[in-house]
Amino acid sequence: MEDQLTVALANLEESNVLAQVNERLKAGHDPLAILKACQEGMIRVGKRYETCEYFISDLMMAGEIFRQVADLLTPKIKRSDAPSRGKVVIGTAKGDIHDIGKNLVVALLKAANYEVYDLGVDVPPERFVEVLKESGAPVLGLSALLTIAFDTMKQTVAALDTAGIRKQVKVMIGGGPTTEETVAYTGADAMGRDAQSAVTLCNQWIRASV
Amino acid sequence: MNKEALYQERLARIKKAINLEPVDQIPVAFLGPAFAPRYMGMPLAKFCEDAEAAFQVTLEAVKRLDVDAVNSLVIGRFPVVLTLIWLSHIRAPGRELPPDALWQVDEAEVMTPEDYDFIAEHGWQAFLNKHLPKVIDPAYLGESLDFMMANASRGVPLFRENGCVVIASGAVSIPFEPMCGARSMSKFFFDLYRMPDRVQAAMDRALPEIIAGGIGLAKAGGAMGTWVGGWRAASAMVAPKLWDRFVWPYYLKIVEALVAEDITPVLHFDQDWTRDLGKLRELPAKKCILNLDGMTDIRKFKELVGDRMAVMGDVPASLFAAGTPDDIRKYVRDLVRDVGPTGLILSSGCDIPVNARPENVEAFVAASREYGKAA
Repeated sequence: MEDQLTVALANLEESNVLAQVNERLKAGHDPLAILKACQEGMIRVGKRYETCEYFISDLMMAGEIFRQVADLLTPKIKRSDAPSRGKVVIGTAKGDIHDIGKNLVVALLKAANYEVYDLGVDVPPERFVEVLKESGAPVLGLSALLTIAFDTMKQTVAALDTAGIRKQVKVMIGGGPTTEETVAYTGADAMGRDAQSAVTLCNQWIRASV
Repeated sequence: MNKEALYQERLARIKKAINLEPVDQIPVAFLGPAFAPRYMGMPLAKFCEDAEAAFQVTLEAVKRLDVDAVNSLVIGRFPVVLTLIWLSHIRAPGRELPPDALWQVDEAEVMTPEDYDFIAEHGWQAFLNKHLPKVIDPAYLGESLDFMMANASRGVPLFRENGCVVIASGAVSIPFEPMCGARSMSKFFFDLYRMPDRVQAAMDRALPEIIAGGIGLAKAGGAMGTWVGGWRAASAMVAPKLWDRFVWPYYLKIVEALVAEDITPVLHFDQDWTRDLGKLRELPAKKCILNLDGMTDIRKFKELVGDRMAVMGDVPASLFAAGTPDDIRKYVRDLVRDVGPTGLILSSGCDIPVNARPENVEAFVAASREYGKAA
């Protein structure tokens, strides 16, 4: 039988989801099991987006519901019980302060159990390098809404090379004006056409590296 | 050919394009508020602060490129215009940013859910009076508006004297867009799911004032048309049930009101509207221009709506910034082949970006002339 919490999250029923989470916590259910039911709901959301049943507003609402669920559950879950799927460093490239798309990717990555190092906006190349080295993250996500950030994306990829970590890090780019030509221009490995694609890329790359 | 004759020739081509008639040469329009000053060597800080210099440098850029038209002409401080569209603070070069940096929208949650109720009770202008001082200095806004009102009507005749058509002056949009900027996009989208009736009540109350304001601005500018803007309301962004309720009915009303005043709606629709292109068939035939930025499937548009509406666009910003002249030529060639020769005005997809390579922009104009010539 289907878990009704999974169904409710997949259907974006915010009040229903939060009510069920609180009820289950009160009843002594394992918080990790509750989290996994919600993660399954997010996977369904992702699939509905890929089949064009859901759109960006649906992804954002799902991310918001999941954020509230995570706020309730995370304090009750031991880190050792819920190892992350992998680490991702992400930020909006230097020269650009837009973050809506980046924030949506962060929400979906966290819902997919990735440990995300969100460096914010207007991030210089050296900061990305620093955090990649410290964290050992194998994936870097670069976001931009302005074409002027193409050059700083290119500089960031070059900085990975200079720092000797380019081969250990897969770079994905995304944001309104980015195209396959931008991938070639910046030296990145791939672009995510949308937020869900960013999760798919991480799934492919991090599974491949295990 | 003298400038007036050149102007009339170019105007005739644009009117034929709108009317889906054959042309001897597909018209070419320029849109590049940040590119124009960069191209002509003016720092962006000056462009943003000195409104007189701003539209003069746009004219100089347009003359140098020798295009038929400008898509839209802004008379006023550009960051202030963006504040009025998005109801957000704008970080401007020379103020919060270095002198030659590009302006950026500094979106934040300023409008509250209670403001929906305020709008429903008191109206749109009352809300603007309350909201705008939170995102822009009132004295600076007042001074900027004074200039805009005093000079709005100068642009069209000035460009005409130089043989260039101004397609759109002013801009209007559905309540969705400014409310989205004022609430911040994520909060606004959540509101559509959480409190749809409150949002709709505010939108319904605001719309007549927004329409009246849009008509006023369009007439003050005096161009043939005005922008009807669409950005965050794009189909790819908004779930269908929300789009059908909060987006389309409002566009329909705006377009019908503009057409009734003999103003050509230039549907400046950025992002991806492919899912709902068929809806455009509900709009009056041969009265509008759809202005796309490269993210909507323009060929799908031609297939579904090309018998009723002209399209302007859609060479992507990324191609101007990171492509080559050859990339541009191929894009224009394929666009003319697939979307022309009737009902097409060649243009960039939204703004030519500030970091567009000049050779790419010049290649765009040259390719448009070459491939846009009737066989």
